[in-house]
Amino acid sequence: MKRDYFLVLAIVVGLPAAALLTRWNDQHSDAPNEQFAEEQLYLNGPAMKRITLAFNGVAADWYWLKSLQYLGRKIVNYEDTHAGSFSLNNLSSLDLRLLPSLLRMTTTLDPQFLEPYYYGAFILPDLNPDEAISLLNQGIAANPDKWRLYQHLGYIYWQRGDYHKASEVYAAGARIPGAPPWMTAISARMKAEGGAAQAAREMYIHLSEASDDANVKEMVKTQLMRLDSIEERDRIRRVLSDFSKRTGHCASSWKEISSALPAAGLRISETGAPLDPGGVPYKLTKEGCDVDLDENSPVPHR
Amino acid sequence: MSRQSADSIAAPDLADNVNPVTTGVSWRRVTAIARNAFREAVRDRVLYNLVVFVLLLITAAIFLGEISAGQEAKIIVDLGLSAILLFGVFIAIFVGVGLVYKEIERRTLYAILSKPIGRGEFLLGKYLGLCLTLLVNVAIMGAGVSLALVYVKRGWDPLVVRIWPAIFLIYLELAILTAVAMLFSAFSSPALSALLTFFVFVIGHFSADLKTLANSMGSAPTRWVFAGLYYLLPNLTNYNAITAAAHGQAPDGRAMLAAAGYGFIYVGVLLAATALIFSRRNLK
Repeated sequence: MKRDYFLVLAIVVGLPAAALLTRWNDQHSDAPNEQFAEEQLYLNGPAMKRITLAFNGVAADWYWLKSLQYLGRKIVNYEDTHAGSFSLNNLSSLDLRLLPSLLRMTTTLDPQFLEPYYYGAFILPDLNPDEAISLLNQGIAANPDKWRLYQHLGYIYWQRGDYHKASEVYAAGARIPGAPPWMTAISARMKAEGGAAQAAREMYIHLSEASDDANVKEMVKTQLMRLDSIEERDRIRRVLSDFSKRTGHCASSWKEISSALPAAGLRISETGAPLDPGGVPYKLTKEGCDVDLDENSPVPHR
Repeated sequence: MSRQSADSIAAPDLADNVNPVTTGVSWRRVTAIARNAFREAVRDRVLYNLVVFVLLLITAAIFLGEISAGQEAKIIVDLGLSAILLFGVFIAIFVGVGLVYKEIERRTLYAILSKPIGRGEFLLGKYLGLCLTLLVNVAIMGAGVSLALVYVKRGWDPLVVRIWPAIFLIYLELAILTAVAMLFSAFSSPALSALLTFFVFVIGHFSADLKTLANSMGSAPTRWVFAGLYYLLPNLTNYNAITAAAHGQAPDGRAMLAAAGYGFIYVGVLLAATALIFSRRNLK
């Protein structure tokens, strides 16, 4: 009986003591995992697929979760060091060198797992467009009946300004049974006027409609705001140009042209400044001869 | 198996069989041994692994939604079916290698074989008993995965049904492994049998590579060796449908039938070899 008390005591005291020691060690050690966090994966995808035997699916899930956590951790670190919220337009400012390998591993272990291809198509073009294209081509080879992979690949080519290739990819995707009819229309538009704002607008709208991902929808929303803002700034420039022709000098403040702005279809603030699609007033630049987005605007520059 | 249960197996058949040892397989005796092997497995708390499995699934179902970016159903299937296979492999290996060995070690085998029970019947009964244990185990775990899917999908999802062909294939793979474990345990120690069975499990999943090696080798003898290994060792890649099941794809009927037929024949061969070795084993 007495021995039992000692054993219970050993458990009750031992476990919290071990936990406290771990906590102390965590606080006083140099975070050894940090130095290995960016280390490239030891094994390539095909070798890993062999090693995992029948468990390649669960291994693919593991690498998928790891990719999500990798990006999540980078965003948290960015926000901690930059005292502000992270925008997906700033992806290139994150050091995501391991992400392509993680996604490649995931898709090699489970080539039918589509989400990593979509995720890669969304994230990788800002970091490594060639890797994004290679990943999407691998996805298409493994899943030739998935038209959305063609849509994402076409989008990447369009982003690079390769409208001819984008048109080809959209056309190939359009031939897949079940592909929506607008794939053919987008292909034709890419060929005829790939760089035009209207083509971009249509592509973003279809990208949003075809995706369930909230991040994609958010990205499309900001990109549509950017397109709206480009059109608005063109209209403002016309108003500014008319004013300078009429008066012989550029506008010194928005008040001078505040009556002409609503006539050009622009929203204005109480101070008479035109508002961008994010609701932030535009700013006058080049001594009142040009217009630009304010630094605090949620509308991306590109 | 205790001496008492060993007695209870043979007793009902004595009246039916004047000389049962020489009159072929009695399914009543085989069934009685199988039933006792199942009871023994339950008594040995083999099914306790279900508790671990359920805890694993509940944890996964609750937390995956937050970290998997909408892929929780796929991950539940991958995780659940992989766990069914992993736990099943452990049971098939560690219980399978002890099925006969324990009876010899405890000397209960002598009591059983002194009754009118053939060694082949004893082996077949033991094998079917463990297969029944695995069937119960796999069925309960499969139902657990289906329920977890209903939970994460907040209702009915076609995956709930579509995973069952893959579960059936897992069960067939476990049935083959159990027979492999019994074969090794018929002539070697439990530790070595477990190790050898595990090797067969690993090599069985490298079947495609064995075939590639056989085709790519330059010299004819090496080609024959690898081709021989390819056909001799169980081709367990036939039973790997977990990843496809996670995408809602089930193997077609012909593939299922071929896998079932292959499993049935392979198990038959293994049990025949085990019976052959065991019948010549000196138990004194």
